[in-house]
Amino acid sequence: MKGKGFAVKLINTILPVLLAFSIGGILILVTGENPFEVYGIMFGKSLFTSKGFGNTLHYASPLILTGLAIAITFKANIFNMGVQGQLMFGGFFAGIAGAYITGMSSLPHQLLCFAVGALCGVAFAMIPALLRAYFKVDEMVVTLTFNYAMIKVLEYLSSGPFREQGSGYVCTPTIQGSAMFTRLGDSRLTGFFFVALALFAVMWIVMKKSSLGYQVTAIGQNPEFAEATGMRVRRKILLLMAISGALAGIAGAGYMMSEEFKYTLTFSGSPGLGWDGMLIALLGRHSPVGILIASIFYSALKTGADNINMYTNVPKEVVAVIQGLMILFLAVRFLDERYDLKSRIRTLRKPAEEDMEK
Amino acid sequence: MSMIRTIELTKKFGDFTANDKISFSVEPQEIKCIVGENGAGKSTLMNMLYGVLQPTSGTILIEEKGMCFKSPQDAIACGIGMVHQHFKLVPSLTVYENILLGAEIQKEWKGHKLLFIDKGEERRKVRELIDRYHFQLNVDDRVENLSVGLCQQIEILKMLYRNVKILILDEPTSVLTPQEVDRLVENLKDLRDAGKTIVVITHKLREVMELSDSITVIKAGKVVGNVLTKDTCERDLAQMMVGRDVVLTVSNEGGSTSGTETRYQAEKLTTINDFGKNVLNEVSFEVKAGEILGIAGVEGNGQSELVKVLTGVMLAKQGKVLIDGKDITNLWPKQLRESGLGIIPEDRYGQGLCRTMSIADNCIAGYLDDPEVNRFGILQSRPMGRLRDRYIEKYDIRVGDKHGEVSQLSGGNAQKIIIAREFENNPRLIIACQPTRGVDVGSIEFIHKQLLAFRNAGNSVLLISSELSEIMSLSDRVAVMYKGEIIDEVDPKTASTSDIGLLMAGMKQEKGGASA
Repeated sequence: MKGKGFAVKLINTILPVLLAFSIGGILILVTGENPFEVYGIMFGKSLFTSKGFGNTLHYASPLILTGLAIAITFKANIFNMGVQGQLMFGGFFAGIAGAYITGMSSLPHQLLCFAVGALCGVAFAMIPALLRAYFKVDEMVVTLTFNYAMIKVLEYLSSGPFREQGSGYVCTPTIQGSAMFTRLGDSRLTGFFFVALALFAVMWIVMKKSSLGYQVTAIGQNPEFAEATGMRVRRKILLLMAISGALAGIAGAGYMMSEEFKYTLTFSGSPGLGWDGMLIALLGRHSPVGILIASIFYSALKTGADNINMYTNVPKEVVAVIQGLMILFLAVRFLDERYDLKSRIRTLRKPAEEDMEK
Repeated sequence: MSMIRTIELTKKFGDFTANDKISFSVEPQEIKCIVGENGAGKSTLMNMLYGVLQPTSGTILIEEKGMCFKSPQDAIACGIGMVHQHFKLVPSLTVYENILLGAEIQKEWKGHKLLFIDKGEERRKVRELIDRYHFQLNVDDRVENLSVGLCQQIEILKMLYRNVKILILDEPTSVLTPQEVDRLVENLKDLRDAGKTIVVITHKLREVMELSDSITVIKAGKVVGNVLTKDTCERDLAQMMVGRDVVLTVSNEGGSTSGTETRYQAEKLTTINDFGKNVLNEVSFEVKAGEILGIAGVEGNGQSELVKVLTGVMLAKQGKVLIDGKDITNLWPKQLRESGLGIIPEDRYGQGLCRTMSIADNCIAGYLDDPEVNRFGILQSRPMGRLRDRYIEKYDIRVGDKHGEVSQLSGGNAQKIIIAREFENNPRLIIACQPTRGVDVGSIEFIHKQLLAFRNAGNSVLLISSELSEIMSLSDRVAVMYKGEIIDEVDPKTASTSDIGLLMAGMKQEKGGASA
């Protein structure tokens, strides 16, 4: 990781975050609070108390998976924008499996729900993948629009065939106790975090060490080279979309079993865990470790937002503003990454020195 | 007074210095050749003269006046014209339309310009221009029907029409047949005599000797020599370019060890391109064990497609390919490599290497399943490093940072990575396509020796190259391609360059009055 230009990349990632926080700070100032105090409360509560940190890790779990789901395809220059839809689809049917299948002991039931979630994610990702691989249909457009189709499909399923009749609002039945993850300690942290962590480890090996990871990089960097040196690009597209869909589905299933317990119309929140994953992948530069750090950071923001609400007069929407600004600034590459930092400083200094001589 | 003079011209890209304090001058009415290995900085220098790039420091003087070109338009306005390696013509338009593109003559009515183009006047002006410089073009021909040599003439005329005093040509001969090269040399000399100043960038030393009045040699971004052509010879130039003695043509002694055993065979290969055009038409040939078969031809006559079909990135519509009797038609590149094929692709950075990946990563490309580096799907970084070090040592690959990316390497060293990778995986046949294109003279020598040693060990090589001298000196037999077909086969020991040149232009001689 610490290759040429690592420092430049780090600056390009941290600068947008700092900028977003500074502008957020101005907003906080306008509401009459001290931004340092507010940020202090936000991160202090979400990172430096055991309960808050547990909550942060808990909410980071699905984000780690969606971030990885996005990164593995983006690295190969395939754009799976449908992680959100795949996550909801996987989550929904994991919830159905969790609710309607009874009499299982805990571990097999949870595994079954994960399997259902993963399969649904894969199935939903396969449609755009096949279209892309065999008919050259732009997968970005298809995956993007499929998200909205999925929202409507699930709205129908949850308000029609799978509706919990006794409930006053649209939702599916609550999953069985055997499918629920139990909380560890006083925070919301559950075993799901460790599932996510294990998958992170697997994906780290896949992306950094394996022959598949090599091929993903090659396809992303130079598809012509990849094909000429014997990679079956079409197959790899299918495989990557499947992995991506599976991760998204597992994220949805885990979120269902550790947080929501039933499908509601606001299942993955706003803007959605899949969309958050996209920001996280961007923030983490599509590298597994980067994504892990970014997920925890992002989750700390989210849990911190509730604390701002509780302990200060600042509305928690300020965090949404910061998130938006982060995306905006991340789209800007402040420094050209073709040159590393040292040579940049050298070239910056030189003209200055020449001016001095004059 | 010099026509062009540069004073300590420097161009930096980041911390890479492409041109380092280059000072040289071109006198009026001379043909100046700029020679140097690929990556020496010739094109950067010319792009600065033509306004495509702006110098980091230093001065350009045109007729002793300091100039600062922001774009090629400025350069043309100053009387500098450039003919690029890849032509910029519209195929569906005629010769005169191409020449006047962007400078159309409008019809006039009582001194007012109308919206219509005055084609008669355009034709007349272009014809006048062609006659003045003794070019052989018909103003009304469509460009799509013309040969590459004629297209180049159009490019030159385009610049002459714009009244340039200085003409810069970038690698003008790389796409021409020997006959067309002769024609170009004549044309350029005529232009010089008519008062133009000409700068030619090239790395083909023989043409330099024929063409130029004076020569500037560039090495690693610096001027290493300014000589008059009459005072030098090819060998001296090569030595200046590389900095040591080089063998210009390796001796092809030891000869072909070929027996009768057929190693590789293509039977009636036919394929069409994306536009449905027949680009290969019943191509058949065979390569024996211990033999180098050269395929010569002007670029664009189906060689690229042939290589693509043979290396598994394009499908053959008809025909068969056999290696040692085993059918390998339309297999995937990976399967081809497993059947004993080594592939040196035409486009080094397109198909052969991935610039943005590390040297070690590139050393295993195509051979990912090699148990030395791959255990249960996990690539072993330490054995990969050992493999890389072995290749670097054995093939004398000069790298700055061996952990770095391939993009840092010069053309020759990058090519050596491909050579090492393909040779070290024990192939029985190597398909070498333009193996020395854009490679420095020292590496060319090395690559040629490798190919010959490989052949002498009883293996086979299919050599596809547009560099005729390469084909002639290495091959045991030469097949010539023209318009997607192999039109004849000759023995390089008895055939002359001009014989092959005629074949490359599609003119098949009738031998001994055989048929008529």
